Amino acid sequence: MSPFFYFFFGFVAVLLVLLIWSLRSPKKQAHSSLDAVGFQGSDRRHATYLSQIHRALAPADLEFLASRGSAKLARRVRKQRRRIALLYLSSVQEDFQKLLRLARVIAVLSPEVGAAQEFERLWLGVQFSSHCRMIRIRLFCGFATLPQLSGLSQMASGFAVRMETAIAELGERAALATELTSSLESRGVRPR
Amino acid sequence: MVTTTFIQQALWALNSAGEVFLLTLLVVRKNYRSYPAFSFYVFVDLTMGATALLSYRIWGFDSATAYRIAWGTHGMVLFARALAVAEVCRHVLSRYRGVWALTWRILLLCSALVLSYSILAARHDWRLALPSADRGLELSIATVIVVLLLFARYYDVKGELVVRSLAIGFCLYSCFAVLNNTLLERLLYDYSVFWNMLGMFTFLASLSLWTWALRKPQFQPEPGEILLPRGVYQSLTPEINLRLRLLNEQLSRFWPAEAKHS
Repeated sequence: MSPFFYFFFGFVAVLLVLLIWSLRSPKKQAHSSLDAVGFQGSDRRHATYLSQIHRALAPADLEFLASRGSAKLARRVRKQRRRIALLYLSSVQEDFQKLLRLARVIAVLSPEVGAAQEFERLWLGVQFSSHCRMIRIRLFCGFATLPQLSGLSQMASGFAVRMETAIAELGERAALATELTSSLESRGVRPR
Repeated sequence: MVTTTFIQQALWALNSAGEVFLLTLLVVRKNYRSYPAFSFYVFVDLTMGATALLSYRIWGFDSATAYRIAWGTHGMVLFARALAVAEVCRHVLSRYRGVWALTWRILLLCSALVLSYSILAARHDWRLALPSADRGLELSIATVIVVLLLFARYYDVKGELVVRSLAIGFCLYSCFAVLNNTLLERLLYDYSVFWNMLGMFTFLASLSLWTWALRKPQFQPEPGEILLPRGVYQSLTPEINLRLRLLNEQLSRFWPAEAKHS
């Protein structure tokens, strides 16, 4: 059997998998709309929690507990704090995804889009998710340290602030947000 | 053998009846206005099928003339299908002018690449030249539809159910045609009877899906969509990409340090 024979079967299999994936309903998300209020609030909230997360992951607390309390207690606290850090990472990721969605909506509703910009964002989005996944794994295994998380958080919240500023500069932020949401619904675009 | 011939003929009759029914539905529900290329495709497929059948009756199934006519009509059907697929693509994304301008170029490029590779990968046997070209075109069609649906998903554009059903029907039929033609290339004459029969069976499945999707009248999309001002994309997108790039660079810088740490 020639390799081309298998190539066609493999190619069709890949196409069918992609077809099913592309037709799948998207996951339900906590924030279901791209409204300006939700967009503004959540990023600031997560940024405010950064110092708590910083403290939660600091090794000093755990060392203190291990020396003064029991090892079991230190383990339990570490487990709980890791869980909180994972939740925090999810929130930052969610914010980031929301902003990415906003960028996509802008692209959809724009009369002209740049191929380079679109591909760059696609590629960067892929990189971001893979990085987050790796940090999550490391955090889960207990390897990740704070800089990774704080870096992520600063990036996501800074990104949000600059986006807001840019929209405000256009002098129509609220109108734009409303227009985006209503346009999405009227055109069959799903704001997730 | 008699049974196989009977099944083939029954399938042919069933497909033709299904196409007549779908055409009637398109006319009665006035859906031909929304889907002119698709209606044309169904019409062409029906008439070309009848032409091929007539040629078999006149010149016989194994005659060279009938063979040429059959493949000629098949070429016309493929051309009409390509038009119908283009129409489906237009229905999904053309309202979003900027994204559509990007998408159709990519779709064209994808189809050209897949078609070229399929032809290069074919066994260079003159008897198989037409099935090989056919397979290349079918693979291009399937690829175009899948890439289109991926684009729609990426941009959160939810197409109408009818358009998606048409796309699924085309894609499944094309995928199956590729597999069928690949097996034909390998097994040659031993497989030719089943090749024909399975092809008709898949078409019947797609036809049923299309008929179900077009059972109700469709409304034409409103023309003249309101888009954002030109400057919004130009001012916001570079900002977003810059922030993403910085984020990724920062994350990349963490990894070597982390690796040394652990």
